[in-house]
Amino acid sequence: MHKISYGGLSRRSFLQSTAALGVVALAGPALAQSADFGPAPKGLPPANGPVRWLDTGDQKGIFIKKYLTEFGKARDVKVVYDGLPWKQLNTVVPLGISNNSAPDTFNLPQTLEPAVAISEGWLQPFDDYIPDFENWKKAFPDGAFVEGINVFGGKTYGFTFSTNRRFENAVLFDQKMMNEAGYDKIGADQALTFSEMRDAAKKITKNSKGKAFGFIIGGSQVQRWGDVATMLAQRGGAPVGFRGLIEGLNLKTGEFAFDDDAYVAGVELLLGMRDDGSVFPGSLTIIAPQARSFITQGAAGMIIQGPWNIPIWEKKVPNWNFGVSPGPAPDKAAMENPVWVGQLPSSTNMMWLNAKAKNPAYVGDFDHWFGSMAGQIAYAEIGSCGDPAIFPEASKKADLSKRAHAMLAMAEKYVRISPNPFVRNPELGKVAAVYIAPTPTLSQTVQGLFAGQLKGVKETLKKLSDAQNKALDAAIAKAKSQGAKVSRNDFVFADWNPKTDFGPADYAKL
Amino acid sequence: MVAYANVSDIGSPPPRKRLVARIWSARLDYLFLVPGLIIFGAFIVWPLIASIYYSTLDWSGFSRNATYVGLANFRALLQDSYFLSALWRSFVFTLMTVPLQMLLGLVFAIVLNNKLLKFSTLFRALIFLPVVAPVAVIGIVWVLLLSPFNGPINGYLLDGHLVQRAIDFLGTPNLVMWSLAGIFVWKWTGITMIYWLAALQTVPDELYEAAKLDGIRMRQVVVHIVLPIIAPFAAVIALISAIWALNVFPLIQATTEGGPFFSSEVMEVFIFRNAFAPPSGQFPRLGYASAAGVLFGVAIMFLTILQALAVRRARARRGENGND
Repeated sequence: MHKISYGGLSRRSFLQSTAALGVVALAGPALAQSADFGPAPKGLPPANGPVRWLDTGDQKGIFIKKYLTEFGKARDVKVVYDGLPWKQLNTVVPLGISNNSAPDTFNLPQTLEPAVAISEGWLQPFDDYIPDFENWKKAFPDGAFVEGINVFGGKTYGFTFSTNRRFENAVLFDQKMMNEAGYDKIGADQALTFSEMRDAAKKITKNSKGKAFGFIIGGSQVQRWGDVATMLAQRGGAPVGFRGLIEGLNLKTGEFAFDDDAYVAGVELLLGMRDDGSVFPGSLTIIAPQARSFITQGAAGMIIQGPWNIPIWEKKVPNWNFGVSPGPAPDKAAMENPVWVGQLPSSTNMMWLNAKAKNPAYVGDFDHWFGSMAGQIAYAEIGSCGDPAIFPEASKKADLSKRAHAMLAMAEKYVRISPNPFVRNPELGKVAAVYIAPTPTLSQTVQGLFAGQLKGVKETLKKLSDAQNKALDAAIAKAKSQGAKVSRNDFVFADWNPKTDFGPADYAKL
Repeated sequence: MVAYANVSDIGSPPPRKRLVARIWSARLDYLFLVPGLIIFGAFIVWPLIASIYYSTLDWSGFSRNATYVGLANFRALLQDSYFLSALWRSFVFTLMTVPLQMLLGLVFAIVLNNKLLKFSTLFRALIFLPVVAPVAVIGIVWVLLLSPFNGPINGYLLDGHLVQRAIDFLGTPNLVMWSLAGIFVWKWTGITMIYWLAALQTVPDELYEAAKLDGIRMRQVVVHIVLPIIAPFAAVIALISAIWALNVFPLIQATTEGGPFFSSEVMEVFIFRNAFAPPSGQFPRLGYASAAGVLFGVAIMFLTILQALAVRRARARRGENGND
């Protein structure tokens, strides 16, 4: 397979032109609205039907749709963009693979480990399709391409354009209500303590005289409970993994730690607000988008949610005055505690190349632009703080609101990259493939405690830890019996300093 | 099959054509059956066979390498308390909804079958309207109506001092199934009414006229004439209604998604959760979910057979057997 390169244009002149494009993009939204994809790379074959792109839509969908269309015009190829919710994408992609109708490039279903998709023959690497590949890759920040995450066997399978370094579970609040509750100093630089949050929720409810409640959560969407509980535990200092198989796993000991005091305190905060009558009634039956909508209507004072709301709210309810702050910490001493994500590149946004793609060279050509500073700035203008560009410089240069910049700064300050067992030993993908999570999971357990169906926070969470430890041991044993070289020690990072990013150098020391 | 005989053939069995010859002679009929058979095979028979096959596999649906595990999925299911609860809940939900739905449908049908009633067509249409409304829309609308924050139903209850504080109809574990049953009955009573109306068409007009001439009251007409005539239809209507009640997935998914904490998780939601919405960090369990589907199907089939036997026995007691 031959490599794609840009003919008739030196790398220097190409970089100069893309840098110039960045300046043009900064000059104003009107100019930034169209992109210069440069000349078609040498050796670009004629298109074999339309170039098809499938992802989960949202904010990034706006960007892809716009620029992929422009790209199609520039290269004179037809493009088809589809943005589907996760639930649909999770079924559409496997079906498309099995009947050879999957798009050229797509997001992988949520629960599918990339290593499994590769071993099943779903994917092929980008290396030969992205022009000037090695230099292009070098421009990305450290940690953007990680063996076991988007690189497998030295080949790059996952194209990343956004970062996981975002405060996914921050406190977003109605500024007026918060001020009236006496917490006008809370903001991106100052978080609430647990007791302050409970007090603020109580006062907001009281001040509104029945028209609003202190706190709201989209509790019908079960995963929200786990996300919030884990963030609260992390802010309490529990060095636990976020989401996936390692959610709640203490990465220093390799044991599930749902009964850690930090987890217990976090869950008790939620139950305390419930007992105070400060939680929006009906929170158990609304989904996250409904909860987000209610807070903008003045029905609630605080929500624990992600930065993706900021650009949407600023656009849709421009007159609503809201503030952002990091997730609450148990006490003043814990204020600087970070929260952790398992990797720098966002795996949910990562694009993968179909092994049977009809137009892989066109996908590579587009991704080449997308992964340049020009493409990243164009993206940052739309991805904003919700789905930040993976080039931090691009986000800094993008024309974003004050709140969005505050949110990005908050992420830089508080969000750290934790060690990731799957990076340490990619064979753990085989453990994930056979792992059967016990029921109830963390999310279901917290929902059950909140609904009053489960009693005793500490005991219930201890049961959960025991069940998940047992399930993980069983999965490891099964994977081993199938030939995987894995052990429980792969989950132990005893020397990890939780205050800093765990990077390639740290993995090398293991 | 009816065989036409000559007069000379009377007393001796009619000559039977060979099967192939008979099929050939009715070839046009069979040809018209083909499209239906293809659709039936592709969307009913094949998924049924595939589900049974998948139920014997340890398979996520992603991997090409599924592992044959025999009956292991079935054994695991019978020890899974969430499966047993969901199965139980499905049948309880059926018991909660079907009798009420049948009773309401019957009352509406009898009242609206009265040709003297003005606007009966309009009332029929109004009662039938929820049936044609998409379930997803119905679910969202009812979540809003029942909202303890600003839902109008709670508003009326509070304004009328019928309750002290708003009721979380869909978020209270002990209440959620009753609330869903109410929504379900509201949605589907219209179709049950139509079934009953069809049954009422079998009551001869002469009987009504004779009863009228004899000065019999409406209540007596209903109890002593109408109900005995339409009673045999009840079994069929009950069966159809029960099948609807067991297929309640879209409504629950649009309202509670089985929550809070599994308290409205019926069998189909359990199957969906395992097949397509596994918890974070776990692969889907298509084999396990298929096994649950197979067991659910067997349970329904068992109940259907029981019901058919009960109907047959009732008819036999009434001396109707063979006289249909």
